[in-house]
Formats: sequence, C-alpha cells, structure tokens
Amino acid sequence: MNLKSKETLIDVFASIKTEAEKRFGKIKGDSNQNIFIGMATCGLASGAIEVKRAFEEALAEQKINARVISVGCLGHCYAEPLVIIDKPGFPPILYHNVTPGKANLLVKAFLRGDDPVFEHVLGAMEENELIPTVMEFPRFNQEKRVVMGKCGLIDPEDIYQYIAQGGYSALAKALTLDPEQIIFEVLESGLRGRGGAGFLTGKKWQFVEDAEEKGKFVICNADEGDPGAYMDRAILESNPHQVIEGIAICAYAVGAKRAIVYVRAEYPLAVKIVQKAIEQARELGLLGKGILETQFDLDVTVFQGSGAFVCGEETALIRSIQGQRGMPQPRPPYPAQTGLWGKPTVINNVKTLASIPPIIEKGGKWLKGIGTKKSPGTAIFSVVGNIVHAGLVEIPMGVTLRSLVFDICGGVPNQKRFKAVQIGGPSGGCLPEQFLDTPIDFDSLTEAGAMMGSGGMVVMDENACMIDVARYFLDFTQHESCGKCTFCRIGTKHLLDTLERITKGKGRDGDIELLEDLSIDIKEGSLCGLGKTAPNPVLTTIEYFRDEYEAHIQEKRCPAMMCRELTAYYIDLDKCARGCDACVGSCPTESIFTTRDRKKAIDQTLCVKCGECMTACPSEYDAVRKVSPPELAPKIARPEEG
Amino acid sequence: MVTLIVDNKEIETQEGSTLLQACLDNGIYIPNLCYLNGIEDPPGSCRLCFVEIEGYDQPRTSCRVKVQQGMVVRTNTEHVRRLQKTAFELLLSTHHVECRNCPANKKCELQRIAKFLHFGLKLKRLEPLERDIEVEHEHPFLEYIPTRCVLCGKCVFVCRKRNGQPMLSFAKRGFDTVISFFGENDKPVDVCNECYACAEICPVGALLVKDSPNTSNPWKRGSFNDKGKCQTPLK
Amino acid sequence: MNLSARTEEKVMFDHIASMLRTYEKKRENLMAILQEIQGKYGYVAPPALQMVAKHLGLSSCEVYGVATFYNQFRFNPPGKHQIRVCLGTACHVRGGDIILENFERKLEIKAGETTPDREFSIDRVACVGCCALAPVAIVDDTVYGHMAPSKVEGVILGFEIEKERKEREKQDSESQE
Repeated sequence: MNLKSKETLIDVFASIKTEAEKRFGKIKGDSNQNIFIGMATCGLASGAIEVKRAFEEALAEQKINARVISVGCLGHCYAEPLVIIDKPGFPPILYHNVTPGKANLLVKAFLRGDDPVFEHVLGAMEENELIPTVMEFPRFNQEKRVVMGKCGLIDPEDIYQYIAQGGYSALAKALTLDPEQIIFEVLESGLRGRGGAGFLTGKKWQFVEDAEEKGKFVICNADEGDPGAYMDRAILESNPHQVIEGIAICAYAVGAKRAIVYVRAEYPLAVKIVQKAIEQARELGLLGKGILETQFDLDVTVFQGSGAFVCGEETALIRSIQGQRGMPQPRPPYPAQTGLWGKPTVINNVKTLASIPPIIEKGGKWLKGIGTKKSPGTAIFSVVGNIVHAGLVEIPMGVTLRSLVFDICGGVPNQKRFKAVQIGGPSGGCLPEQFLDTPIDFDSLTEAGAMMGSGGMVVMDENACMIDVARYFLDFTQHESCGKCTFCRIGTKHLLDTLERITKGKGRDGDIELLEDLSIDIKEGSLCGLGKTAPNPVLTTIEYFRDEYEAHIQEKRCPAMMCRELTAYYIDLDKCARGCDACVGSCPTESIFTTRDRKKAIDQTLCVKCGECMTACPSEYDAVRKVSPPELAPKIARPEEG
Repeated sequence: MVTLIVDNKEIETQEGSTLLQACLDNGIYIPNLCYLNGIEDPPGSCRLCFVEIEGYDQPRTSCRVKVQQGMVVRTNTEHVRRLQKTAFELLLSTHHVECRNCPANKKCELQRIAKFLHFGLKLKRLEPLERDIEVEHEHPFLEYIPTRCVLCGKCVFVCRKRNGQPMLSFAKRGFDTVISFFGENDKPVDVCNECYACAEICPVGALLVKDSPNTSNPWKRGSFNDKGKCQTPLK
Repeated sequence: MNLSARTEEKVMFDHIASMLRTYEKKRENLMAILQEIQGKYGYVAPPALQMVAKHLGLSSCEVYGVATFYNQFRFNPPGKHQIRVCLGTACHVRGGDIILENFERKLEIKAGETTPDREFSIDRVACVGCCALAPVAIVDDTVYGHMAPSKVEGVILGFEIEKERKEREKQDSESQE
C-alpha cells in the first residue's frame, strides 16, 4: 500500500476511535453510576430480564440517575445473573446470583446509601482498599483471557464500546501491512485451529492466499453442535466484533471479498447480535466497500445452519450453504482449493478468528509465549456436569486437568467422588482419575484417547455410569450421522444397539469384543471426521472402565446405579416414619402406597425410577434406598383394598 | 498413458482416470457399489473399494484416487479385506436377504461381492437391523423396496443425468435415509418421463417397475454386461 | 379439517407466495426460504415445498430431500406451546431424559408429536447452550433451568390455568355485551 493511503487509513481510524472514546466516556465517566447486567442466553435463563426490570423500576422509584447496560457473558454461569455496579468512589463491584429482591436492595443501600452490601459481593473488578478483588479466586486468577478478554464487560450491541477498548485497531494495523506479513505473524504464533482438529491456521491461510483463483471466501464456523459446549455462542453473544475483526483480517490476508458467518439457528440471540454487529461495522466503514478508505472490500453475511451436527464438518457446511443436503465430501480436494461454489475457502472456528486481533496487535511471538510449545495460546472449555463452578473457562494450554477441575472449577459437589471427565464431546473420550495430571493441549489429549474437540468438558461423579455415557454419545452421533457412508450409517447403529442391550441387562459374552472390533473398523473406514471419531467414547470407556462393562454383562448390575433397568428403589421400613407422606406426593406415577402398619412402600411394577421420592424423603428419616441389581429390593405386596 | 503396478502386475491406463476404473478396465475386480464409470466427483459412500497404496498408512477408497505414474497398489491385503468384509457385513445387516423371490437374483451386485469376498449372505456376529420405514410417497409405476436398498445413489445420479433434475432423491438422514419420490395422494409432483434408467441401474433390485406386464421386471429390459453395469448410454 | 383451519391454510399459502417473490430464483436461497417459512408458521407444509421448488426451478423431491435432512424443519403444524427438552451432555448427566419422560407422560404424547387439541408439542433438542443450568427445558421462548420431574406438572398447569383464565375472560366479555 502506498504511503499516502496508509496515512489516510490511520487518520480515518483515529477519528472513529476518538468518537468511540467520547461516547464510551459518557457511559463510563466519573460522574455516572453504571449497572452492567449479563444478558447472554445463560443470564437470561437465570432471570436477568426480571433483574434488569427490577433495577430500572427501583431506580425510577428512588429517582436515582444510573445507567443500566446489557453486557454479554463473563463465563461464570454458576453465579448468574451477574451484575457489575460501577459507582464513583468505589471500585466496580461484581454481584452474583442477583434476584429482583437483591436488585432492589442494591439500589437502596448502595446507590442511594453508600453500603456495598458485602454479603452479596463476589468481588471487586479492580484493585482497591475496600473490597477483595475477584482475582483472589482461582476461578479468576488462573484464567488467561485472550479470546474472552472483553466478554461480559462491554455491550455487544454497541460497536463503540469495543472500539473504545482497543477494538478494530488490529484491523487498522493489518491494513497497513502486506498480506504476507499477516500470514507470517499468524504462522509465527503457531496458532492451531480451535475447531478441534488443530490444524495450523497460518498454513490454511497460506494455501488460500496462494490460490490464484478469484472470488475466494472466508467462512466463520459457528455451527457449534457438540452437546455440552457453548463457548462459540457465548463469544458471539458477548463480543461479536472481535470475531468480525478477525474475519476481516483473514479476508484481507487471503484476498477474499466475501465472508459468511455460519451460525446455528438454535442460537437466535447470537444470530441477532452478529447481524447487528455487521450492520454497525458497515456503517462505520469497517466492513463493506473501501474499508477505512482503502481499496479493500469485504461483504460479511450471516447464514443460519438448520440443525445438523454434521454441518460442523467443513465440506458438509459448504454443501448446506449451497442449499444441498449437508453430506460431507471425501477430502482431498480440501476447501482451501475447492470450497464454497468451487472457490478457495478458509473455514475457521469462532475462537480461531477471535484470536487473530490480539496476534496482529501484539505479534505472533506474544501468543507463542502463552501455553505450550506445540499448542500455543489458550483453550476455552465449557466445564459442566457434576462440578461446583460450572461455566466457561479460558486457560493457557498446558494446565493440567486436575487444576482445571479442582482448583479452577471447585471440584465435584455434594462430597461425591470424582470419576471421570469427558472431553471433546461426541468425538472425544472419557478419562478417569489417573489421567488428571495430563496437560491440556492438542497432542496430550489425543494421546490419552480423548481430544480437544470443540472444548466441551463434562465432569462426572461416582453416580455416572460409563456405559450409559458411551450410549448417550453414540445415540447422539447415530442420530446425527448424515447417512452417506456405510460405516457411520449402519456401524454406529450396531454400536448403539449393543450398548443399549448392555444397559438393559441383556448383554452377552462377546459383546465387548464386538464393540471393540466394530469401533476400530468404523474409525478406519468412515468417510468423514464424524464417523472416524464416533467410536472414541466406546473405546475409551472400554479401555478404562472394562470392569463396569463386565458387571453389566455378567452380573446384570450397574455399579453406578444409573441404568434404570438394572436398579430399583425401595423404602427401608425400619427407617420410614409412620404417617409421613412426603414421598407420596412427589411420585409422578402414584407407585407409592401405604403398608398395613402405615409406612410406605414402592410398587415396583409402576415405579419409573426417577428418584424424586429419594429427594422428597426428609433427611432425618433418609429411608429411600437404591439398589442394583433390582432383585435386591425387598418385595412388599400392596395391601388389598377395603 | 500412465503405468502403475497393481498386485505386482503392471497396468496401463489413461491419465486422469480413477484408480478403481483403471483396475476394472484391466480386469482387476475391486468390490464397489456406488461408483459409476464417468461419474464426476464419485460419492465414495459405499466404502467397499479400499486398496492399499504404497506411501499411505491407511487403505484408501480407490474411486477417489486419481492414477499416478509409478503408483504401487495392492488390492488384496488383509487390512483391505477386513474393511471390505465389515462394510459388506454392515450393508447386509440392513438388506433383507430373499434372493429366491428377488428379480435381481443372480445379477445382484451383493451376491457377486459375497462370492468374491468368500463371505456368506447369512449374518454371523451382527443382528439384522429392521428399518422402520414407511414409503411415504407412492409412485405410479415405480416400486421402491427400502429393505433391499443399499443407498448407493446410482438411481439419483442417472435420473439427474437424463432429466437435468432428479425425479427421485435421497430423503431424511442417517439410518433413516431413503430414496424418495415426492408426491401427494400417490401422484408424483415431478413428472417422470418413464425412462426407467433408475430401475435399470439399481444393483440390488430395490427399484422395480410395476403395473405393466412388459416392464415388471426391469432386469429383462436393460442390457447388462457381466459386471452388472448398465450399458444403456447416459446422455 | 374445519373451515377456519382451511382459511388459515389458504392465507398461509398466499403469504408464502408473496414472500417467495422477494427471493431471487437462486438455489442458494433455498435454506433461507425454508427457514423463513418454518420461522413464521412453525412448519413447512408439503404444498409449500412444491411452491419453493417451483420458484427455484428445482424438482420437488430435491427440495423435500434437503428439507428432511435438517432437524429444524417440521412438516406438521406444531402445538400452540412448544416444549423443547434439552438432551445435551450436561442435561443428560443431570437427568434430562427423566424430564422428557415426565412431559411425555403428562401430555400423553411422545417427543416429536403434538397433543390432539394442538395445545402442546414436545421435541428433543441437542443442546441449547445453558449447560450450567442443567437440566433445561424451553417452553415457547422461556428457558426453565434446573428442572425437576415435580416441576413439569407446574409448568403445564401454568399454561392450563392461563388458558382457562382467558376463556373465562372471553366468556365474561361476551356475556357483558
């Protein structure tokens, strides 16, 4: 680029940034009180709308001047709804599990008075002398936020907030560089694709840049289908501009003029927010024709995926954009050569693209300094299941599973024992306790039999049955198989049927070997990544929990007492209190009856084993028991009527 | 021309040809169901045509490999046979075996593959899978038998080739995938020009022509070569 | 089908016809069109598939093939209240299938079906991304986190009471007139 247009570009961006700072200054100024409420999907599900309304009403009633700002997701889902109150004279304070009642109290006590209501404080967001900061918690201080740095702190629907916090300056910088320089930085950073496979991002870009054909595309893959991972959704809902900025840099580097954000239709809020963000960026000349008054044009659109997990696979994704059945194509040719409408196409995950702006700003070497040598940067996990501090966690690569599960996320609740962690969703595997010291990076996880996948992580306690977990994932992949190739279409069905048989107590000798043999052939023979990885949950559970398989097959017993056909509930008559009716009302099938001596018993023929009676039974009696195999439950006949 | 070595035998073939076609042309049979000579972008879906190629760790589907000068290929290694047998066994577990009553008897591609792989038509380690399929849209003169269909997709391909638009297509997904005509009250919406190419090309007798006594057995109408491949020229 | 349902359908097809005119006749618009129909009416009626095929110059069976591939599209009218039970991993570990079963038992229909009075339909969804609140059910647009079998009855009862209240109000206003 010639010197003159370089100067114009810098001037144009500087004036946008000044405007942003002016506007954002108005929001975050010294004289104003601001209330930031987390309003991403998880916040909304926890009642953020009611909380917001309560704040607004209380403010109006008390005639207090404060601004209520909707922000995205901080990742601390266990504590939603989260609210940050920024009042002059105080550090910004983070409140957790805010209810409309608490909102009312906070307005009266803190905004009107000067009492920060310590009992509801999670921590301060900045160093100060009054309140301990959130950084004193491992859940905060062991994180390293590269991708999610601004998530939950800015209003995703206001582009100026992102710009005021340094957003789009990486794009402005990138446009002053040659495409080769950008690709060099990305290569130097060692960034690997965050969609799961871990291919070098810089290399992918280089292939497309090298292609001579015109009409290239950039596709942002936000077809997050892994049933237990939601970081892509959270990022798009909380800070869409960082992703868009990454897309624009990528498009400039590879020479694409069109980009598509492929979002699942199941994420309506993310779709809406991304569309709005694209609109705003276009208005400011950060997208569209002649970006920042340079020669670079980029048109970004949103495409909604219609609910097919397999469309996360890049060749299937392309077909679905083309209005076809989303069936994967054998590779090669790769999309980098023949992609959307036959044109060279970069397909990158949301997290990969969101990592680009910081790399351009701070240099490839900077990212290389984070994480491990072969897997630089950070990893985002959605840690869910039987875990105290569930939510999204961004950690440097190389942190061990143990410190992620126990230090950062607080371990397993209710004094239960940790049993296994399932990583990488339907393509991943279950790792037992002895793998807790495995460092989290692409290669170590693959070696252990799991995989990074999209970052779903489900922690399971002693009550989780590993065969049921394998069955669950196979049920998922079998439903989501596109049906194109023989191994995946029919093979996964046989795996599922066999697992189902085992969980129902109808396992046979030879079933374990059948599962193993079929799994290996499916892995080798399938056409696409979905089929090639589908048997992983089966293989890892057989490898690490073979005794559980044997208990199911030989003794018809579920050691974790989870498989419903192999367990039974009964009421311990010695403990049951005469005349107590607590369990009766809780039973959805009216299977609990009164015995002759006015105690309770369960009619096994009606019981659906939902466990509600166990929850309902007052803890001082604790009379409901669960056993496996079901024959262990004593048989008590219902007294005859009359 | 390109020369390559298949099973220690040197063969010659046209440049740009697929490995599978090159082998078939030279009298080296590799089991296959979804491949058609001249098909652009072979679907590679039946997963039967595996071969081992020197320089690659894993067997590859030969329909998706373009021949290269000096390529060294083996079609009958243990690894290849294991994958072929499993794929075949899986297909068989959804195929209702009733050869005696099937018009495709003795011309059926599955019988041929079974013979080639020395693999019986009876299931041993797998249980037959019942597919719970309703034929949603009846066709006035074509009969579709989903319990025979191996979803090779040849019918969809030839129909598109002949008519520009396919009058039948894959529908649903995964294990429930079927070949479907779309229609209302038994009347197909798409007008079929009765070329019967779909029934002729079906390798397993899952698409039949009904009603007219002359055409009830498409296996009489089409002219087939000994490989069970339709010789009717495609447009 | 009663008369009002018939008119409703006719109105729907008229709307779809005019909506189609806003789309260029390009295959790449197929998904967007199907999504718009699904979003507006909750299902894609078979005649609508034909209209779309005709507009885009595709064969109907091809459009049918594409539409049946994706989970998002229904081909029968959904219930007035759509219950979607999440069966993502986190929800499964925390008993999502028991929640689904309770809805099924209470409404006497299976997942994917609609009650005969067309009030409710139940669907299973893969993951709605609220894993920390597992198990989760979504009724219409409201997310219910930390579901329990005993909460199922309450949710349905809530809608039934609401319906009764509305009917009473309607009757009251009618009797006043």
